[in-house]
Amino acid sequence: MAETADLIVVGGGIVGCAVVQHCAELLPKGARIVLLDRGPVAGAASASCMGHLMVTPDDAQEYAFSATSVKLWAELEEREGGFDYNPTGALYLADDPADVELFAVLQQQFADHGDRAEILDPRQLRDREPGLAHDLPGALFYRGDGVVLPMMACGAMLRQAQKHNPNVDVRPHTPVTGMLRQGDRMLGVQTANGAIHAEHVVNCCGVWAPELAEMAGQPRLPIVPRAGNLAITGHHVTPIQTQLLEISYIRFAHGAAKVDPTRTDDPGGHAMNMQPQSNGGCLIGSTRQFRGMDRTLNKALLHRSLLRAQRYAPGLAHAPIVRTWVGLRPYSLDKRPLIGPWPPLRGLWIAAGHEGLGITLSPITGRLLAEQITGRPTTIDATPYLPARFLR
Amino acid sequence: MSGERIVDADVGVLGAGPGGMAAAKALAAAGLCVVVLDEGHRAGGQIFRQLPPGAPHAAIAEPPSHAHGHALIDGFGASKVELRSGASVWDAKPGRLWFEQDGASWLLRCKHIVLAPGAYDRCIPFPGWTLPGVLTAGALQVMVRGFGVVPGKRALVVGSGPLLLPTVTALASAGVEVVAALEASSRWRALRALPGVLGNGARLREALWYGRKLLTAGVKLQWGWTVFGVEGDGRVQRATIGKVDADGRPRRETARTIEVDVVGAGFGLVPSIEAGLLLGCASRLLPARGGHCLVVDAEQRTSVAGVYAVGEACGIGGAEVAMAEGELAAAAIVRLARGAPIAAGIARKAARERKAADALLRAFAPLPGLHELAQPETIVCRCEDVTLARAKAAAALHGGSHRAIKIGCRAGMGPCQARICGPSLQALACGRPELPMDLPVAQTPLKAVRSETILNAPEG
Repeated sequence: MAETADLIVVGGGIVGCAVVQHCAELLPKGARIVLLDRGPVAGAASASCMGHLMVTPDDAQEYAFSATSVKLWAELEEREGGFDYNPTGALYLADDPADVELFAVLQQQFADHGDRAEILDPRQLRDREPGLAHDLPGALFYRGDGVVLPMMACGAMLRQAQKHNPNVDVRPHTPVTGMLRQGDRMLGVQTANGAIHAEHVVNCCGVWAPELAEMAGQPRLPIVPRAGNLAITGHHVTPIQTQLLEISYIRFAHGAAKVDPTRTDDPGGHAMNMQPQSNGGCLIGSTRQFRGMDRTLNKALLHRSLLRAQRYAPGLAHAPIVRTWVGLRPYSLDKRPLIGPWPPLRGLWIAAGHEGLGITLSPITGRLLAEQITGRPTTIDATPYLPARFLR
Repeated sequence: MSGERIVDADVGVLGAGPGGMAAAKALAAAGLCVVVLDEGHRAGGQIFRQLPPGAPHAAIAEPPSHAHGHALIDGFGASKVELRSGASVWDAKPGRLWFEQDGASWLLRCKHIVLAPGAYDRCIPFPGWTLPGVLTAGALQVMVRGFGVVPGKRALVVGSGPLLLPTVTALASAGVEVVAALEASSRWRALRALPGVLGNGARLREALWYGRKLLTAGVKLQWGWTVFGVEGDGRVQRATIGKVDADGRPRRETARTIEVDVVGAGFGLVPSIEAGLLLGCASRLLPARGGHCLVVDAEQRTSVAGVYAVGEACGIGGAEVAMAEGELAAAAIVRLARGAPIAAGIARKAARERKAADALLRAFAPLPGLHELAQPETIVCRCEDVTLARAKAAAALHGGSHRAIKIGCRAGMGPCQARICGPSLQALACGRPELPMDLPVAQTPLKAVRSETILNAPEG
């Protein structure tokens, strides 16, 4: 006889872990929640990304989405901790005079939502971050951003979940081999160790979410991998204490992709992103390139990334680089994540497609999905993220 | 600016230990242009380590086999081989080795690569192992033989395998009192090494030489004993020692305390295979040879065309194996380049030495129970300060594999990239044998290099 559960979450990355945490809080006490991953918990994108918490003020919806999520992060730190949460704030930097005017644009965007960011002149910038190049034309400082260690944050979310509900069952190294359905209703999943029946199945498989949907006989989801090259230094060498972002990042990361994600000739792009680590190391990103599931290092892009990092923090030239790697971010074709039910198949839910903001947005994603599953009103308007928008 | 920092050669050799020197010398003798890249100050590798130029000579007794090493170093020095010392290889692809030397970024272009990177000390964590005064057997020998530094007055030597002996003799001849020398393997298990020693004249002479030295120094090897922990105020002052069972599990009821100020721990070696993995070479797990080893055929060819591996990278075997395999790899390359056949004796010698080493080391295969020396609060990953308890919690939540443990607590992600804690993490993971065996990480940079070195890397 097949095992039964109330909810199965497939994919133990940061999004899957957040979904488990919030479902454990909102589902009735004692509900059986099973988390499955074919590898380790936090073994894919969540182990190969940066850990930034970043409020994006582009419009009211985006602001509410990201700012609420960053608040949930602070709550997780208070309640659980253990994931190197560091509310460093963020310095938006520029070295191209054409980009300097973006400081005021972004400052106004924060102001539009009643939030505040300060423009620093070169002297104020140097006082705040003496390790930065001395010829920079100032910066925009936003207090609300921060840094976490995503792999450990996954663990913190699951520990929280298990405190709320001891029936949360975490099963790494358990691949899903089939999706069980009856007509237009999900029945559960088939794993290498047997079938598990459940009323709800949540697809949190990131770049592999389309594969799982296809396993359930559904059309391919509009999510494609976008590769990032990263490097990390040894300990005790970071020249910075605040998270740094090139302000052109705003245009580049969230603006419309200029390239067709489904083609393979994307030359890739880069905007400097650097994070201080709790051990005194410095994490250096961040490049973006569409090239399928290829995880080999793009040396040209890595070089560009290191060169730009060094441009802003010259001391990094002599910092030992201990490791470089490539992570794949799940890019959704309309640049908004998919969060919610998949109407053609009752009981199938999706939470995937966050690209570079998966760490920032995972708590609110978990919250929204748990609210939808339990039929509660959502914390913020969830309509822009409903997967049904792709059903036409 | 980096255009001129390119070196061309027929063969690039990684490592100037016995295997690398033997290969390079034979290749040069056949008229091939050879460049050897080595991290040390001078040729010799860890085993035949030479004092840095100008250092006072330390009168350290050496076993008979080291005569081979000196002859090889002399022959190597007299050959036309270009040795680049202080060179750290950080990136590789077939025919290309990128390295940092004197702060500059270089590229070696070559037709063939011979990997002779040697091995690392296998570290077994025990309470107090991170205190100053606890050193690996390798590090102790570097201090004593490589730099003439005397590390303390009263030493405890612990571990398993043939490397305990040179550690004891090096300490004794430097004037350190060796209070106890503890071999974790039982005497009966060690008897399995006997055929390997008796069947090989050189190894027998070596064993007898060490036996005499220990006798002179008044040191008696205690079989089936090891260290349970060390203590001290800021440095080693005391050690608790005791008996272990046949699997290496501590028998706590036998514990007793001795006063020492230095502990040398030599629990065997782990092959250095990351350069091979980065080149795409196949590997396999051979526990009796120290862990994951590069796979080579009967002529030292790896699975990647133009890449050869010799010595410890193919499994721990010692200097004699490395030298024989180095000569064999050279002969295989010379045949390709010059059409000269491989002399039958060369392949036979390499096979014979490897067989003898395997027979010897079988008796000292890593004991799984030694991983029980660590207590919950014992640090297992010293780069990231991860205790055994945290590593176990990570294994429970993230999945039992080696990689899951790393992800769950950051163990193995620091500067050493799991070279030190890898065996401990793998041992923790061993509770789930069905999980995939995770290979050591193979990504550029192989060793930490400055950001500028990566940026200034010559293309080619």
